Amino acid sequence: MIENSLFKIKENKKVIQEKDGLNKVILTTRSRIARNLGGYRFNTFNTNEEKKRILDTVKDSFLKSAGSKNYSFYNISRLSKLQRLFLLERHILSHEMLNRLCGKGLFIKFFSPDPDDYISILINEEDHLRIQSTRAGLNIAKTYEDIVKVEKMLEKNLSFSYEKEFGYLTSSPTNIGTALKVSVIAHLPALVLSGKIEDFIKRLIKIKLNIRGLFGEGSDVVGNLFQIANQVSTGKYEKDILDEMNAICYNIIEEEKKAARELKENMPLIVQDSISRAYGMLKYAKMFSFGESLELLSMIELGVETKMLDNIRFFDFYQLISLFGESNIIIGENFKAEPDIDEIDAIRAGIIRKRILKKPAYKE
Amino acid sequence: MICEFCKKNKVNVNIIKIVNGKTEKINICIDCLKSFTLLPADEFFNDLNNVLKKFLEVDIKISDKGEIDKILGTIDSSESKTCRFCLCDLNTIRSTGQAGCPQCYTEFRNSFIQIIKTIHGSCLHKGKIPLKTGSKEKIQKEINDLEHRLLEEVTVENFEEAAKLRDTIKKLRKKLTAGKKTN
Ligand SMILES: [Zn+2]
Ligand SMILES: [Zn+2]
Repeated sequence: MIENSLFKIKENKKVIQEKDGLNKVILTTRSRIARNLGGYRFNTFNTNEEKKRILDTVKDSFLKSAGSKNYSFYNISRLSKLQRLFLLERHILSHEMLNRLCGKGLFIKFFSPDPDDYISILINEEDHLRIQSTRAGLNIAKTYEDIVKVEKMLEKNLSFSYEKEFGYLTSSPTNIGTALKVSVIAHLPALVLSGKIEDFIKRLIKIKLNIRGLFGEGSDVVGNLFQIANQVSTGKYEKDILDEMNAICYNIIEEEKKAARELKENMPLIVQDSISRAYGMLKYAKMFSFGESLELLSMIELGVETKMLDNIRFFDFYQLISLFGESNIIIGENFKAEPDIDEIDAIRAGIIRKRILKKPAYKE
Repeated sequence: MICEFCKKNKVNVNIIKIVNGKTEKINICIDCLKSFTLLPADEFFNDLNNVLKKFLEVDIKISDKGEIDKILGTIDSSESKTCRFCLCDLNTIRSTGQAGCPQCYTEFRNSFIQIIKTIHGSCLHKGKIPLKTGSKEKIQKEINDLEHRLLEEVTVENFEEAAKLRDTIKKLRKKLTAGKKTN
């Protein structure tokens, strides 16, 4: 049985206002800490039996705390294909996590009305526990607050592996100490199209940030979306890690806005062409794959930011991505038979048109 | 531009990989991209974004591992010692990039200090401590934190605040030694 009620992203009904426009660059913030139970081997080396015991221990302890009743628990190995896809699309699970499923568990709580905001506890991934909070926009302090609350709930009945000098002990030494990683997804179309991105990334790497992400130059297959996270997790106070990431994000926003302003002043014909093509496609094309949608929407955002397009409704890029994810479409449409890709792509095109065009070319 | 892999089709996708701080460009056609056998074809084949994601994830894994290998390569693993708790040796830790158990960090302390310093620039934990830490350790932690703040105040020449902090530290130190006597 699929619990569709949980595995469905409902559209945020509250009116989204273009506040300070920050959300247009930093789309989402995710913070997480890793913790391990004392008395067990780390997950790379322990047995399935040990993993099951860890899962039971964590589950029992967490369920004892009063705040746990708003959470749903899932045994990853018992999820349907569709549910897994849903969690993958939301970065709650990684492809890697679907390899060895034994003993893997997930507690999750979605915050309403923001369907993309949630807290999760992943059990038996690389570490015994990963406590993670994801919130829309630039929201570093809040995500960390969320994590600390959950950690307190767990700590009442569990003790985590800790050593005075090293701090919290983790399976990989890349996570040790605070075991805190903050990562944001940044949408940087102007930096990419103006060719400044390579230098920019080099600078970020120099200050010990991990940059993940890829982009297609010209074709922009993945929507100019980058994931940026701190590499250093020890030798610093949590507060300093958070403050530094925050400062870096403001810097990223500033650089992207600056690049957008410069593009606006002197827009190369090729950029104008890309934006116009994206607009034409969105207005008239009938089917969009997921990747193609990211690419087109990225160009539309740039078109709006540089004031080249004005007949576009304000839209929240990240929320839209969730809405047109494959799993969300399948769950939302209640197909009788397994839908084919064309059907899904057509529904996706409809979702996007409806939300961003002021004057639609078709009746939906 | 022609695809680097089949040398036949037109390039539809340009990927810029970031590996160990270097950027590298790959020009590839969609056919070749799809033919990389990195993922269960039935599940994600049709979703280009997922194909790309998978493609990149593999690269990132390799690059992350390469970096750690480099670091781990510098440690001497000829020592045949194994961890008394999980029986892992340094060779295993080196090849997986993962510690065997929490005690490994103590068993191979010097090697781990070296690894952690290379990754993080420092290996001395300053962050929060577990809830159930003993009161003596909690006081010690508070003293460390205040000393850190004291240093900050002195650097910005805020001597009034620094003096307050110094007094608090003194009191805490007394509490710590008094505790030792009564215990
Ligand atoms: Zn090719
Ligand atoms: Zn060990």
